Amino acid sequence: MNANEAKTILLLYRPGTADAEDPQIAEALALAKREPELAHWLEEHCARQAMLRAIFGQITAPAGLKEQIISEQAAQAMTISRQRRNTIFASLAAAAAVVTLLIVFSSSWLPHRQSDDNTLAVYQNQMAGIALRGYAMDLATNDPAQIRDYLARNKAPSDYALPEALQKAATTGCAVEGWQNVKVSMICFRTGKPLPPNQSNDMWLFVTDRASLKDAPENGQHRFATLKGLVTAVWTQDGKVYLLGTEGDESTIRKFL
Amino acid sequence: MAEGVNFEELVARYYEPLYQFAFSLARDESDACDLTQQTFCIWAAKGHQLRDTSKVKTWLFTTLHREFLGSRRRQTRFPHVDLEQAEPELPVVSPAEISRHDTAHVLATLARLDEVYQAPVALFYLQDCSYNEIAEILQVPLGTVKSRLSRGIGRLQELLGGDATPPRAEPTHL
Repeated sequence: MNANEAKTILLLYRPGTADAEDPQIAEALALAKREPELAHWLEEHCARQAMLRAIFGQITAPAGLKEQIISEQAAQAMTISRQRRNTIFASLAAAAAVVTLLIVFSSSWLPHRQSDDNTLAVYQNQMAGIALRGYAMDLATNDPAQIRDYLARNKAPSDYALPEALQKAATTGCAVEGWQNVKVSMICFRTGKPLPPNQSNDMWLFVTDRASLKDAPENGQHRFATLKGLVTAVWTQDGKVYLLGTEGDESTIRKFL
Repeated sequence: MAEGVNFEELVARYYEPLYQFAFSLARDESDACDLTQQTFCIWAAKGHQLRDTSKVKTWLFTTLHREFLGSRRRQTRFPHVDLEQAEPELPVVSPAEISRHDTAHVLATLARLDEVYQAPVALFYLQDCSYNEIAEILQVPLGTVKSRLSRGIGRLQELLGGDATPPRAEPTHL
């Protein structure tokens, strides 16, 4: 092996890894110990390798990617589970009377669904989907009192406590959504940034009963995640789970907490 | 899903290195997120077919790479440019200036390499993968990986201004 051959082999050498165990690299390294010019080249080469590894290592995943992957998977699993159940349901419908099906539906399917799907990830995903994919506000008003009154009359959570900063945000209306046979209050806000003509709000607060989720955060904790382009914050207070979502990043949503 | 592999633990362990690999290939945050997410989605659907759980890492990287190649084939907006054709545009940088390059510049330079060199070089620098692991991930023989690495690294450093040894001509069987 001459010095030029050694250089070609040592291009693949990364100090501090198992590369040195490769017989060809070991031979080239041994040659570098004997030849000063090659040793000098190797020193510079290792420095270049270290710099490049450091530069590549600077790539970092965006915040919330992990949570998004887990949440999307949970939602997909739920959809598949529903599709399978629907298939079973259709088969039963062909073979049994309507009354029998209703009994099967009410006595076994619904409770099973509730126990499987009541995770925070699925809840977050569903509520983010509602906010992003369009909804009809049951009540359009900028009067917070009217919103609470409407929600109370519809037996949805109305005695929610808003963080001080969120109290100052402009409300635009509300709707009552469902989750695990429990009502969810959706309160719509405007953050104040310019919106397209067909959009009246850009921040949503979902409030539901703490007991409807098996893994809600402890009191006082805030959990942040990015879902479908929405940054969300979830917290628990006085037996209720709050989910606030808007476009932007974590710093955007922290301004309202 | 392969027995004994918890999905959330798997995501927690590999989403970052997979994203790094995806970003080094796609050079776009959104595309890299999609590739990473799609990889785990495929795992959720097909991971149970993997019997040897020690191969999870290479399985994930192989899947991501395949997805990337598939997405590239579907794209027509990135015409291929041979390095030789692009030669007059290549940056002239001294070796000491490598440290001044930012990630975007290095990845842009990586993208100027022929496609067959990009993934092995990215894995080489990003993951500290052994040559055998890179061969497994890319599903090519070990000799081919070494040859591609040698040529790819040499060319990358050359483009970045390093005085690396001029790359050998790649064997015709590759």
